[in-house]
Amino acid sequence: MNRFCDGITRRDFVRAGAIGSGFGFGLADYLRAADSPEAKSAKAKNAVFIWLGGGPSHIDTFDPKPDAPAEIRGEFKPIDTNVPGMRICEHLPKLSQLADTYSIVRGISHTLAGHELGTEYLNTGSRPIPSLVYPGYGAVISKEVAGDNELPHFVAIPSTPQKAGYLGVRYAPLQTNDAPKPGVPFSVRGISLGNGVTVDEFEKRQNLLTQLDTAFAGVEKESKLIDGMDRFAHQAFDLIRSSKARDAFDVSTEKPGVAAPFGEGRFGMSCLLALRLVTAGVRFVTVSFTGWDTHTNNFRSMQNGLLPQLDSGVSALLAGLKARGLLDSTIVYVVGEFGRTPKVNERAGRDHWPRAMTALLAGGGVKGGQALGASDAKGMGPANDGYTPDQMAATFYHALGIDHRKEYHTATGRPVMIVRDGSLIRPLFG
Amino acid sequence: MISPTRLTAFAVIVLAIPTAVSAADVAAPAHERFKGEATESPSFQRHVLPLLGRLGCNGRACHGSFQGQGGFRLSLFGYDFASDHAALLDRFNLKTATDSLMLLKPTLQEAHKGGKRMATGEWEYNLLLRWAKAGAKGAGEKDAAFATLEVEPKEISFTKPGETAKLRAIATWADGSREDVTPLCRFRTNDDSVATIDDNGIVHATGRGDTAVVVFYDNGIATVPVLMPLSDRLGSNYPAVPTPTKIDELVVAKLRKLGIVPSELSTDAEFLRRVSLDLTGTLPATDEVRSFLTDTTPNKRAKKIDELLARPAYAAWWATKISDFTGNTERNGPLGGEQGLNRDKAGQWYDWVYRRVKENEPYDKLVAGMALAIGRRPEQSYADYCDEMSSYFRKDNPADFAARPTMPHFWTRRTLGKTEEQALAFAHAFLGVSLQCAQCHKHPYDQWTKQDFDQFTAFFSGVRYGAGNRTETQAMKKGTGLEGLDEDSGNYKRKFAELLADGKVLPFKELHVPQNQKPRPGTKPGVRVGSRVITPKLLGGEEVVNASYTDPRQPVMDWMRQADNPYFARAFVNRVWANHFGRGLIAPPDDLNLANPASNPELLDYLARGFVASGFDMKWLHRTITNSRTYQLSWRANDTNRHDERNLSRAVLRRLPAEIVFDAVVLATASDDERKRLDADPAALRVIGRSSGFAGGRSNDTYAVTLFGKPQRATNCDCERSDEPALLQTVYLRNDPEVLKLLDRPEGWLKQLAKSKQTDSDELIRQAYLRVLSRLPDDRELQVSHKHLSSAKDTQSGLRDLLWALLNTKEFIVNR
Repeated sequence: MNRFCDGITRRDFVRAGAIGSGFGFGLADYLRAADSPEAKSAKAKNAVFIWLGGGPSHIDTFDPKPDAPAEIRGEFKPIDTNVPGMRICEHLPKLSQLADTYSIVRGISHTLAGHELGTEYLNTGSRPIPSLVYPGYGAVISKEVAGDNELPHFVAIPSTPQKAGYLGVRYAPLQTNDAPKPGVPFSVRGISLGNGVTVDEFEKRQNLLTQLDTAFAGVEKESKLIDGMDRFAHQAFDLIRSSKARDAFDVSTEKPGVAAPFGEGRFGMSCLLALRLVTAGVRFVTVSFTGWDTHTNNFRSMQNGLLPQLDSGVSALLAGLKARGLLDSTIVYVVGEFGRTPKVNERAGRDHWPRAMTALLAGGGVKGGQALGASDAKGMGPANDGYTPDQMAATFYHALGIDHRKEYHTATGRPVMIVRDGSLIRPLFG
Repeated sequence: MISPTRLTAFAVIVLAIPTAVSAADVAAPAHERFKGEATESPSFQRHVLPLLGRLGCNGRACHGSFQGQGGFRLSLFGYDFASDHAALLDRFNLKTATDSLMLLKPTLQEAHKGGKRMATGEWEYNLLLRWAKAGAKGAGEKDAAFATLEVEPKEISFTKPGETAKLRAIATWADGSREDVTPLCRFRTNDDSVATIDDNGIVHATGRGDTAVVVFYDNGIATVPVLMPLSDRLGSNYPAVPTPTKIDELVVAKLRKLGIVPSELSTDAEFLRRVSLDLTGTLPATDEVRSFLTDTTPNKRAKKIDELLARPAYAAWWATKISDFTGNTERNGPLGGEQGLNRDKAGQWYDWVYRRVKENEPYDKLVAGMALAIGRRPEQSYADYCDEMSSYFRKDNPADFAARPTMPHFWTRRTLGKTEEQALAFAHAFLGVSLQCAQCHKHPYDQWTKQDFDQFTAFFSGVRYGAGNRTETQAMKKGTGLEGLDEDSGNYKRKFAELLADGKVLPFKELHVPQNQKPRPGTKPGVRVGSRVITPKLLGGEEVVNASYTDPRQPVMDWMRQADNPYFARAFVNRVWANHFGRGLIAPPDDLNLANPASNPELLDYLARGFVASGFDMKWLHRTITNSRTYQLSWRANDTNRHDERNLSRAVLRRLPAEIVFDAVVLATASDDERKRLDADPAALRVIGRSSGFAGGRSNDTYAVTLFGKPQRATNCDCERSDEPALLQTVYLRNDPEVLKLLDRPEGWLKQLAKSKQTDSDELIRQAYLRVLSRLPDDRELQVSHKHLSSAKDTQSGLRDLLWALLNTKEFIVNR
């Protein structure tokens, strides 16, 4: 048998072919599913990761610098929030009234100024190295936290830079590939009957199939392959015929009162879908919101599009989770790959700036109404020690009861900790 | 004498000095010599370090951890003699040896996190105490090197669970001295459902079947096959079994020992489907099935094999397989200004391999074209080189990349930037060996030490993809709009690709391969790595004075081509075997290591020797394997082989590979015209072809092939390809819009029928069966199908249901 460097058989980790770990449940999972433990004593069992691709300016979002010189503080003013002393950008008015539900982490700092590397770092919590692809949060969480077998465990709206990496494609996301649009039915591949096939016709076909699929009758007792395929056949039939996953995805059926605060934009609708999926029991949902790479006309694009969408989407998500009693059991993490240069450039833009950035964390036991850490007076770097993406990841995992120091093995046998250099930011949990 | 046929060829290397075991010249085992008040002093390398390994001190969870444990650190799994000796000295009190931490802690006289490892006064304790009392000397320059490990008995045959057998391990050193090292060895079983082994080398029978137990001492590894027959069909009770080929003889020789009787021969329909899928990744066409079934020529199976090997689909599928393990993916193309070409480069890589597989270029030659690839020819100027490279990327009439003698993209990948990464990828691709562990420490289950890794890595030192001549680079950029642009900017990358497409000549990076100069007088030949000079050494072979070669990689290639190379031919033979049987003779197929012997070593030897003797003829290999009765056995089990998935007594059911699944859906539902078109150029038109190295799809097949476990080619592991079933795969075939659309596509069979006047429903049902399952329906199936068709609202929709149902049978997705 092949063994890892420390003696574990590699076959235990052989990759299974599947997209969307819930549906993509491999054979071995079935054997394990029964005794898979729920996440220990942690409060959170679901997670929503909101990815602000391109890297939002920290100064123009959650780390305003009103006292800095004009070329740094930019065009926006801070506003008060419902937590005394905590101030954020004026174009986030809805979020300002929910500040008691989330914490802001300031002074997060790293050194990777390229999109690709920064993105990988912030989506995995491990600084990228060329020889290894780290699994994204969703892959780890869907591996570690047990979920509903009728639902996918890791859904990306519409897509995600997170990969299953060395954990194997079985933990890869189910990508919706599109964002829902207001009033239009929404679905993902294969789970709803399409091409005009009715339930009746589907059942008839299934009946024919049952009569014809007899070549290996009796072989299931001696072949795990055949046995597994038989189980999947039953499950697939139920899944396609039943409405659970289909209903969860179809945001068009949401009550108007619930849907309205999310707005009609792609991001808002995606947040609404995230809310529905978490409500149905999907463990990990990530929403990607790109466009934050504001090298030119930073203020115009922020004010006219990015900030209002962010404001509506995230605030409606937090309010929705709270209203459904899910905020305690769902951690929400909002971040991009880096901050942006404090100094405004000659094109009224801001460039890449990994030395200082901010993130927002809410729910799942995270104490709201705090602003942890700080950047220096000009937003150039952390004021004190600062925080690392690794610490943020460790904290995110901690909320879900996942020990970030747990070791996995890569396909080639190398032992790797989930987050290599992480440590918990305790004050976040009050 | 050790019978060489009992050993794998790699074991032969370690056991280079076969010796008869006689009690007279073998030193007694340590547990006897150190039982009481011993007076002799144990040796650091022969006794002390192996003992620590056996006690578990240098394991990863203990003092072998890279941070050490409790302030005491040993090299992981041993073999760093100097640092281990220094660390041990810290744990010994040489004045009052009994007060040493190294004796107090493992006996729990002082608290020890690792628990009790030995008892005071026992031989282990005495051995360490004696060593300390004698001055705790380390490994000396004059100490004879460890040479071989030999274990008796050579094979263990049990008859029922509960039986035991004791192993005896004899080590031999370079000076000829020998010792019974049984109490100093580590032991392992490869399958504890067949046999377990305890710390004293006693093997316990636990169940029927066969496996190997493994013995480790120093960097010696020996395996002993253990078996217990599965039935009473043994000796004269074993039935007469045909063994028309050498493969069959070797397979049945082992089955006889196990009491396993092979299954019957497969049916013609089963054989045709299986061999078509394995050799060409293609479902046989309906006419082909029909004519094969009615063909009465006695050697029609052999003829069919030759016919398949001549088809373009054979080259298309095997170019994909070779692209898998050599790591051809657009994702790993070089970063920087040429990044926009990475998809083209993945295509070029494929084309280059495809051409050679198609022409049946010898495998060693094909590999040499990658392993010794160069960018710029020695006589070629940089400008001419750029001219050549640019010519492959122009849109109009691009030059033929596949005609290039060598294929450098293997080396220019972004994941091969470091010499260590090159060595790891090289060893995985061409040797089937994983060196990953030895990169940092002694390999726990193979012979490789960190020094072996460093010395092997030295062959690749200085091979890198880097900038070309600076002045000419600047000159070429002039006037193109590239000057002044940052090569890492998206703008540059886009522009670079666009200009090339327009036919411009642009500056390319080039693969630098150091041209070795003669070592200066007085210096040691070798490769400078940091401040150290490392002499390149072949894996398990000789040190090489690199200066005598122009290309430092040349000696590795020469070594691989030698008839007795333990890895090169075997790795490919084993991968081909794994494709044809769903499991390698060595499994996993990329894990050639001493502790992981082949299920049938004689068979692997025979095929590897034959492959070399054939001149590395890939078609010889395929032909030899698929013409064997063993390959052509039925999947239907008998009472003796129901649970055999290891000894080749029947065909093992396996899910089709990802690309083949998708293609099979397309082929099964294609009109006759479309089928002809696809068969004519599978490399260009099918998923088993050229697009296999692309990230993201050529069309919308990406989802499906990812779902079914197509390898990403991102890591050095054959395990990237998965043939495990999963729920979403079933959902896909049942209900994915892509599959539903394929049924009704304009080029599809259903549309063709709608236009034709064919109304004989029995014939249509037969055609559906032939298309999807490559066989004719039996009477019951015909009846059921017929009934469904007559209850459907029209023939077309009835046939659609039938096609759907057949595509969703397990029989379709399984190679049987």
